[in-house]
Amino acid sequence: MTTQTKQRRKQALLHRTGSYGKGLLFMLPWLIGFCAFVVIPIGWSIFMSFNKVKIVPGGFKYEWLGLQNFRDAFLKDNNFPVDLITYFQEMLLMVPIIVIFALMISLMLNQRFPGRFIYRALFFLPVIFATGQVLSELFVQGAGEVPFIQQYNLETIVDQYVGPELAKTVMNVLEKVILILWYSGVQILIFIAGFQTISPTIYEAVRIDGASPWDSFWKITLPASIPFISLNVLYTIIDLFTFPQNPILKYIKENMIKVDTGYGYASAMAWIYFGFIFILIAVVLWLFERTMRTRRGRS
Amino acid sequence: MLLSRLRRITFFDFALVLGFTALAAFMSLPIIFILNHAFKPTNELFLFPPRFFVQNPTFSNFEQLFLHATNATVPFSRYVFNSVVVVTMTLVSVIVVSTMAAYVLAKYRFHFKQIILSMITLSLMFAPETVGIPRYLIISGIHLNNTYLGHVLPALASPIAVFMLVGFISQIPNELLEAAKIDGASHVGIFARIVLPLSVPAIATISIFTFQGVWGDVETSTLFMQDETMRTLAFYVNSLLSGLQNSVAAQNVAAAAGLLMFIPNLIIFLLFQRKVLETMIHSGIK
Repeated sequence: MTTQTKQRRKQALLHRTGSYGKGLLFMLPWLIGFCAFVVIPIGWSIFMSFNKVKIVPGGFKYEWLGLQNFRDAFLKDNNFPVDLITYFQEMLLMVPIIVIFALMISLMLNQRFPGRFIYRALFFLPVIFATGQVLSELFVQGAGEVPFIQQYNLETIVDQYVGPELAKTVMNVLEKVILILWYSGVQILIFIAGFQTISPTIYEAVRIDGASPWDSFWKITLPASIPFISLNVLYTIIDLFTFPQNPILKYIKENMIKVDTGYGYASAMAWIYFGFIFILIAVVLWLFERTMRTRRGRS
Repeated sequence: MLLSRLRRITFFDFALVLGFTALAAFMSLPIIFILNHAFKPTNELFLFPPRFFVQNPTFSNFEQLFLHATNATVPFSRYVFNSVVVVTMTLVSVIVVSTMAAYVLAKYRFHFKQIILSMITLSLMFAPETVGIPRYLIISGIHLNNTYLGHVLPALASPIAVFMLVGFISQIPNELLEAAKIDGASHVGIFARIVLPLSVPAIATISIFTFQGVWGDVETSTLFMQDETMRTLAFYVNSLLSGLQNSVAAQNVAAAAGLLMFIPNLIIFLLFQRKVLETMIHSGIK
């Protein structure tokens, strides 16, 4: 009896390690690639950010600097902190605009009207093209700009109404109107998918109780789509900050090949940049968590 | 019949469609621009203020592009051939490797699974441009410079592909896999006969994303390929573009090359778009 159970247990263990092993075997090709081209390079760049990397014949020479690179980025560099702050200001304005725009468009696309499938596809289309080559080509040729900004001399108007401190940021956002439209494809889709999870019987019930469509939007649609709003905010942040055309990444790339700063310094800047993004994401997550909890507490 | 249907369209519907048509037209402006730009003769390219639509369309830009390339040391067709080879190899291997990884991540328990999942999410946030040099060191360390593998391998471990596929595959009901197991299917059998066919929509999506990425990628050509004959079309077009942002000489060549880079994206998208919309709605959220 006891030997039998022992044997059975042993077999179960063997079976489990076997299936675990098979699972890992399926993972293996991907895992090797992921380690070699994602994990190790990222780890290496952490190491490099603490060093002065010099290019000598036949390879690299590392000189341990500790936190010196990080200190230099804030104290010695004239461009980096300024660029970083302006870019973050701009993004803090862009993210809500993109998400709200996507919310409005998806609300309308969620209505029943003839040919809505075609319109959904149309709004998703730019996402496909908004990658790499095509986009940079468009920007080189100036198709990303909106001509009416110069035509109507909007700059002075903005200057008057918003004040000179914020005017530059607002202008930058205005110049990117097309980009905002282009960047909302995925967000619109996520919202539309989210609206499908709200059951239509609720809308019917409140309509019978005498709520207008306006009320039912504020009382039902919006609260139910809070998780999707948070998902979209996160998606937009990540999308915008890893956008290869952005000035910070460009500046970091420039510094990689400069002789006096080099790769170590560039990595340090990259890590500062990612640190800021992580903080931003953490704040957003915390805020949404809190609103969700108070909602749940109330209901 | 038609009349009654027409009557049912309210004023609100009409306004909605009108508004959306306007917005959609506004959004497709850059695409129309790039299409027209490629066919403009030189005198129209420099018109001020610039015009959207081409007046006298010509093919001379494309002729010049091919001539320009034949004068260079490496013929144009070589770049095209390289691009096609690299894209096909990458697509096939990314699909196989990522689906395999996503399948076990979604359906099996094994060691380090949680760590792997959280690493995937973290690495989504990381811009690959910033790790170019370590990647170069690894590539040259395993002697992959100037080979096709050097193009393919860095794109192989794509976190985005696995991220999307995990969301999709975990929705395949477990009962289906169990039934197959009882009927005597092996792990490989389950994967090839059930998981692969069922996740075709998701695979269509990641193939579009991968295609976009690889087709437009210049990083592997710039960093890992020192031999000009191993570089891709994207690199060639980029080198054409980068030198002449302010110059007059080859603007027409650049316009034609821009369209040439853009057309395959459009074709792939049109082929797969319905599937993409399906996956975007399924993955990641529910």
